[in-house]
Amino acid sequence: MGRPLIHRSPMPGLGLSMGITLTMLSLVVLLPIGALLLKGANFGVAGIWETVNRERVWAALFLSFRLSLFAALFNLVFGVILAWVLVRYRFAGRRLLDAAVDLPFALPTAVAGIALTALYAPNGAFGALAAEIGWKIAYTQWGIFIALVFVGLPFVTRTVQPVVEEIEAEVEEASATLGASRLYTLRRVVLPMLAPAALTGFALSLARAVGEYGSVIFIAGNIPLKTEIAPLLIVIQLEEFNYDGAAAIGIAMLVISFAMLLAINLIGVWSRRRIGYV
Amino acid sequence: MSDTTAHKFRSARDEAPLARYALIAFAVIGVGVLVAAPLLAVFVEALADGAAAAVASLGNRDAASAIKLTLLIAAIAVPLNALFGVAAAWFITKFDFRGKAFLITLIDLPFSVSPVVAGLCIVLMFGTNSLVGGWLVASGYPVVFALPGIVLATMFVTFPFVARELIPVMVEQGRAEEEAALTLGASGFRVFWTVTLPNIRWALLYGVLLSNARAMGEFGAVAVVSGKIRGETATMPITIEMLYNEYLSVAAFSMAAVLTLLALVTLMLKTALEVRHADQLAANHRH
Repeated sequence: MGRPLIHRSPMPGLGLSMGITLTMLSLVVLLPIGALLLKGANFGVAGIWETVNRERVWAALFLSFRLSLFAALFNLVFGVILAWVLVRYRFAGRRLLDAAVDLPFALPTAVAGIALTALYAPNGAFGALAAEIGWKIAYTQWGIFIALVFVGLPFVTRTVQPVVEEIEAEVEEASATLGASRLYTLRRVVLPMLAPAALTGFALSLARAVGEYGSVIFIAGNIPLKTEIAPLLIVIQLEEFNYDGAAAIGIAMLVISFAMLLAINLIGVWSRRRIGYV
Repeated sequence: MSDTTAHKFRSARDEAPLARYALIAFAVIGVGVLVAAPLLAVFVEALADGAAAAVASLGNRDAASAIKLTLLIAAIAVPLNALFGVAAAWFITKFDFRGKAFLITLIDLPFSVSPVVAGLCIVLMFGTNSLVGGWLVASGYPVVFALPGIVLATMFVTFPFVARELIPVMVEQGRAEEEAALTLGASGFRVFWTVTLPNIRWALLYGVLLSNARAMGEFGAVAVVSGKIRGETATMPITIEMLYNEYLSVAAFSMAAVLTLLALVTLMLKTALEVRHADQLAANHRH
């Protein structure tokens, strides 16, 4: 209570920087989100539930969150390996590989969407190969999974990479001199050190995948109950000028994502406490 | 491994050579299939009917209008977000106040909101049947299905980029240099211009670069607010979708190739910044 709201400081520009920050934040982010929440409040919990509690909406929400979880798990494993390879090994083309990891951040999602569809459609390069063994990728849930892996690929790598760089040589050497095998050292010494960063990357990748739209809708086929993602359902409601329905699904998505991120943060706090490494 | 000589030279931090090669191969093949192949596919599809057809498909009025609109949106949204990023980073790092962590969380919020939901929020706030939107439309300034809405949607999704790059860098640099300049009698603006800005310019450029790439390529949020009016509110990504859905594959992929080239240039500049100014970028300060 004794602490003032803003400490006195000799630095100039308090009013200006605070004014710009709060005004723009409110106009661009807070008021629009507020408009969504207000719509939801008017609509009421019962109204939202009525909209969400339909087979097609549940199917879309379940599909979005399930496939996002699978894609984020894949990216967790692949991202940690990629980070390790990029930091620890020296080989021709390492810099190129390092730069390529960021491509999903830089490439517009609509471009990624049509490119992936061209590759994995039955007449595409990979799609034709898969068709040989009777595996259909584009226009099935596999296609959605691949698109979500693509957009989430850089997160884990980029959060884990700096941590791998920071690992002191002594730690691994101590483990080795105490008789641990390399695999044991990796499992019991290195992985716990990477875990918090990997978990952060996992959460970012998951959040990105849940909301992803552009790269998914082309390859998904968008068949109701089968390959229709939750964000597409919002777009469909908006095209029918059903703002209440769109807002209800939007709020449901917000609530579920925040709950998931909160759960992941709690796991992070718990694992940090258990492992004792920050 | 059976040969003992290999063991002698292997440090305690190395994996067995076989494991090492397997991991490198896994990483290279993984990135090749997941990232390089789609990149290549864009150009292969664009050039399916030859280079002349690809170039010709970009020559019509709708394509030109889409390119102009995308450049215009980036030219408005990116500087505004850069201004916000600098102001927010200054406010957060040069002053001590309650609720700082909460403010940073709010700035990061757009990263955890789906672009489609972002677009939805803007429609609900400024659409014709909202209070503000109805009044704006009545006074002749429609936001949704018009340029302001697209700019707002673009700003929403790129909002945190610059601030996120600047805050860690400015925290690390502290306030001592600015305080010294102040005691020497420099005005606030001069302190920022001659002391702070030279320290943060590469991080600022880095943030602007990422923000610009995302602004030019944004699809989900813009798709919701644009109304997709050909020649008016169709940005490049929206035009790609329309062409693709009309089975105009070469035209769709040609425009996609233009955006892909932009992405590649962005990556090259970004990598160059990381190599040359690593010590002044936030990406290298994260622990």
